[in-house]
Amino acid sequence: MVDSKFQVPNNRYHINVDHVIKFIRRSNYYFKIWVLMSKNAFIMIASQKMVLVIFLLGKVLRFSFFVSFLYFLVQGAGNLAGYTTNQTIFFFLTFMVIDTTSQFLFREVYKFRQLIVSGDFDLVLLKPANSLFRVLMGGIDIIDFITLPPLYLATVYIGNLLNPSLMQFVLYFLLILSGLLISTAFHIAVLAIGIISLEVDHTMMIYRDISAMGRFPIDIYQKPLKTVLTYFLPIGIMVSLPSKALFGLVSIDGLILSFSFSFVFMFIALKFWKFALTKYTSASS
Amino acid sequence: MNKYIEIFKISYTQEFAYKLSFIMWRVRNVIQIFVAFYLWDTIFYFSGRELFGYDRSRILSYFFGLIFIKALVLSARAQDVAGDIARGEIMNYLLKPVNYFKYWLVRDFSSKTLNIVFALIESVVLFLIFKPPIFLQTDMVQIAFFILSIVIAVLIYFLLLFSVNSIPFWAPELGWGGHFLVTVIIVEFLSGSLFPLDILPYNLQNFLSYTPFPYLIFFPLQIYLGKIKGLVVIKGILVSVTWIIFLWYFMNRIWKSGLKAYQAYGR
Repeated sequence: MVDSKFQVPNNRYHINVDHVIKFIRRSNYYFKIWVLMSKNAFIMIASQKMVLVIFLLGKVLRFSFFVSFLYFLVQGAGNLAGYTTNQTIFFFLTFMVIDTTSQFLFREVYKFRQLIVSGDFDLVLLKPANSLFRVLMGGIDIIDFITLPPLYLATVYIGNLLNPSLMQFVLYFLLILSGLLISTAFHIAVLAIGIISLEVDHTMMIYRDISAMGRFPIDIYQKPLKTVLTYFLPIGIMVSLPSKALFGLVSIDGLILSFSFSFVFMFIALKFWKFALTKYTSASS
Repeated sequence: MNKYIEIFKISYTQEFAYKLSFIMWRVRNVIQIFVAFYLWDTIFYFSGRELFGYDRSRILSYFFGLIFIKALVLSARAQDVAGDIARGEIMNYLLKPVNYFKYWLVRDFSSKTLNIVFALIESVVLFLIFKPPIFLQTDMVQIAFFILSIVIAVLIYFLLLFSVNSIPFWAPELGWGGHFLVTVIIVEFLSGSLFPLDILPYNLQNFLSYTPFPYLIFFPLQIYLGKIKGLVVIKGILVSVTWIIFLWYFMNRIWKSGLKAYQAYGR
């Protein structure tokens, strides 16, 4: 028999090894499901190569057009709210990192409405896996999977031109994680709204339009919009704060603020999801 | 003629059948204007001078003008043509005594009518929020050219949309892809709906002036703001009319060959 409880000498803390092993096994189980669903998503897209090429071309063009626009704009104006060309482009790249990573992971959200209106969500609820995991991460976006590596490389390249210290880089990285948590919370909230109102697509597009305000430094917006974008719809914390950290404009306090927001948002989103599940009527099934 | 008036009425009523969809589309437009307004206001606040040939009132007028021009030019129903072809539903229309092009042109006009009404309301609300300095054009010649350029823009967009949405005749799965690439990405950036094209280098602007895209948004607004006059306006109108003729010819060609290739899947 292995003693499942490892106790430290002063008896104040103890780690339940069983729980840790169970958590690792459970994570492994979900990772295998995720890989399987990602493979399925890949096979579906691979069968329509022209669609893949057109959407990929569209995304690359949109990215190139927007970077060119920012470049010519800030070159002509001298600066944007006090930020240089590279800094402005870096704000956009950071927005893209969070937005594209979220799209890559949570593409399945766009298909959720069909599950609800057809009643097929019943089949998800009956399976021995977390239903939220299935509808949130049930299929990756292959096009984003292709665009992510060059996007990360471009972000590292431009970020490197700004000569950040190690501390600034660590803060940036942690704030990106926090931003991704906020983005995840938003996606969960959209799913919950989908169950209650049967509306997903437009809610998602509105979320994307509002989050796209973070393509530019949040400093360009005036009060009260700036306050709303910082504290109520924390787009500023989600996408602007990481860039500012890399420029050396954010301290540890900013990191604490960001993680506090992301945990509170995640908590509210999960509670909202649980509440929404109680409103699911299984209509049409 | 009466049947097209009836199509207009039905289409107009149909817009209200999807109220949430319509409201969300308008909300998205307003959000985009918010972003553009703050962006350019910041640029002019910090620089405090004339940039890219605009002063503060002209640049803010450009983005207020966008609300109207987008409602007039870019609000269209003809994007549903691809779905009609891909699902085989186009057969229902081909068997009826209606001209399919006129049918969609009329539906476009009903969509534009509704959008322009909402654009007016939004403009008043946004004006009261921002209280921007607005440039009012008083030269009647410029206003006449502006109206003409809007008519040209509407026709170019309709022909462009119709041509792109004919792709499913050959590849039904590419309907949305083609629309996404041409009318969502390329039109958004190269028409001037995201930014005035004057910020681009001269050579690039010159190249773009020979494509149909600037004539959708940028060219009419340049005329309204008085940034181009006389021969430059006439040259632009000649180029854009040439594009209408070319796109009309092109659309007819692909439509004819598309109908030959069409196998009415799903019917």
